[in-house]
Amino acid sequence: MRKISVFMFSILFVVMMALSGCSSSSSGSGGSSSAKNEIVYWNPFTGPDGENMKQIVNEYNKTNPKFKIKNVSIEADDMYKKIPTVVNSGKGIPDLTIVHAERIKQFVENDLLTTYDDKLADHPEIKAENYVPAGWNIGDINGSRYSVPLDVHSFVMYYNKDLLEKYAPHALDDNVITFDEIKAAGELSKKDKITGIGITWTRPIFLSIYNQLGGDITSDGEAATLNTPEAKKALELLKGLVDGKIANKDGEDPGQLFKSGKAIFYPEGIWMQNSVNEAKNLKWGLTSFPQIAPDKIVNWTSSHQFVMFKDKNRTEEKTKGIMEFLDYVRENSLPWAKAGQNPAALATLDNPEYQELPQSFLIKNPEMQNTLKIFDYKYNGFVAEEVDKLVGDSIYGKLDIDKGLKAAQKAVDDKIGTNKK
Amino acid sequence: MINTGVNKELTMSAGIEKHSGKNRFNLSPYLYIGPHLILFAIFFLFPTLYGIYISFTNWDLIGDPEFVGFVNYKEILVNQDSTFYDQLRTGLGNTFKFVLFTVPACIIVPLLLAAGLNTKPKGMKFFQALFYMPTLFSVSAVMIIFSMLYSVSFGPFNHYLNVETNWIATQPYAWITLVTVTVWWTIGANMIIYQAALNGISKDLYEAAAMDGANSVQRFFRITLPSIRAQILYTVVITTIAQFNVYGQPLMLTKGGPTSSTTVLLMYIQENAFGSGISIAGIGAAMAVILGLCIMAVSAIQFFFLRQRD
Repeated sequence: MRKISVFMFSILFVVMMALSGCSSSSSGSGGSSSAKNEIVYWNPFTGPDGENMKQIVNEYNKTNPKFKIKNVSIEADDMYKKIPTVVNSGKGIPDLTIVHAERIKQFVENDLLTTYDDKLADHPEIKAENYVPAGWNIGDINGSRYSVPLDVHSFVMYYNKDLLEKYAPHALDDNVITFDEIKAAGELSKKDKITGIGITWTRPIFLSIYNQLGGDITSDGEAATLNTPEAKKALELLKGLVDGKIANKDGEDPGQLFKSGKAIFYPEGIWMQNSVNEAKNLKWGLTSFPQIAPDKIVNWTSSHQFVMFKDKNRTEEKTKGIMEFLDYVRENSLPWAKAGQNPAALATLDNPEYQELPQSFLIKNPEMQNTLKIFDYKYNGFVAEEVDKLVGDSIYGKLDIDKGLKAAQKAVDDKIGTNKK
Repeated sequence: MINTGVNKELTMSAGIEKHSGKNRFNLSPYLYIGPHLILFAIFFLFPTLYGIYISFTNWDLIGDPEFVGFVNYKEILVNQDSTFYDQLRTGLGNTFKFVLFTVPACIIVPLLLAAGLNTKPKGMKFFQALFYMPTLFSVSAVMIIFSMLYSVSFGPFNHYLNVETNWIATQPYAWITLVTVTVWWTIGANMIIYQAALNGISKDLYEAAAMDGANSVQRFFRITLPSIRAQILYTVVITTIAQFNVYGQPLMLTKGGPTSSTTVLLMYIQENAFGSGISIAGIGAAMAVILGLCIMAVSAIQFFFLRQRD
């Protein structure tokens, strides 16, 4: 009997050790308790672009900085769930983190971020003049700087060069393709069973058109504005493309159509270039998102931003190390551009290798830079959720546009209301 | 006689006292269940209690939870103007529909397959492996396969049926798709249980019934089904609970559409607690508690009806 008890007890002991071992090792992998001369750098780059970021980090580490960067890529959803936990517990807080531009206001509101204000003095080159305005302005909240941009990534439009030549040879003469031109081309191509335009990611498509018409998801930064005449007009325009059979049918894969040469226009993010390149015989070009009128161009954009979450244990020296890395990235963003993104730092702009890249047209001059529109709003996430439910169903005729807009507006209002209580 | 009786009782009770006194510090039963108890407490009991606590708070996962009493429950159960009231109604309704559509099929199809395999046909091992295999796949793998099979433009279903049905974004096809996928994916687990149960039925019963002139249908309903009632009860309850927790299939295949007609409650819970916006964990937790209560109630009803005949 005693033997068995001892045996069981030892098993229990091992289990408990294993459990406690788990917890201590996981906290050890994070920030403050790790090696002293290391900057723990969290980012959501788990896709192919993660390799490009690793390349930047490796090259920086080769310059023998005082603080080496430890690159930790975490799936975006998991990362955003983890952040409040680690910051609240004070253990394992990353020293430097990449977050999406739309999230920053939320973090500032919850007092989770350290400002860069006093740290920029030693690095005068990290300033507005050296960055794309859309990316730089995001980090300026209530007169303080909370983030430094890495990139600006936009939702634009790919086109099939051969099909464009055939159905709309003069559409690109003014460097802008309008919806009228798409309709005209689509009417012609319909007879040859070629789709005019693919309905891809409905959220940026809708938001771009909404903004061209003069709408925005918030008027004052607090209340959401979704149920508006402009929104209705935007949805009706898209529904018109579907009803007129200019756009692909419901359920058809627009990517498949475009890659197999059966669609002329394909609105997608600049980050999709690798996927489009898979189609070997496809000759494609990149241009701005389609416009209603050529005089006001809008390209939906988001941005990856460097932030520092508050951490009492982070030494001043380490913060200096972080700033050095940011300054390095500012000047050495070319590998990141090769992943299909547009670096936010203008230092890369003159590099001939960069100028060759298709997406570089978006930031080659200040006029184009001004077309980049980031939908920056505290409650952006709530709007995104409802827009995702609304657009597809309403343009494919499954949901009445008025009803859908009303429901979406109400859902966002209710979510904001509950959150404010 | 009487004396002996009393004496016996006395000695017995003394014995019990002595025995229990000796064993008062006997830890071994706790040691046996110890490892499981600890895991149960860490991964089940504590999160459950904490979840119930959160449902009484207003919390964005970042600051401190603020206790608000029954406000969240009022919002989702009583306040008819609230989006969350609609979400609970739509989500719970769709979840119940899903359970109603899938559970009977998830019981009957594996039972028939098990009965078929029980006749020991040629290639039985092969078919057994074949039917069991889908259970081993992850939900995302299965959903990717099926979204390709059901694809409008290049899916084999539309190709061979020569139609252009949009299987995953129009009703009633979206429901049909979800149900068939779920049944295909979950055949294996129940089938194995039925096979084991069928193997345990004595052959004598069938022989006796055959002699009395019972045909195969009568034998199935009079002998097979009653003999495996315990296993059927178990699988019905387990399958119902599993289907109530449906999430991956509508999320990946139909994305809750068309017009939220296949958005199940877990999708709303996830959206509110861990969505792309600021977390509304209190509402999400309250919805989760309601879902848990529904599962408990339905399981209790099932137990009641299936046990009563004993």
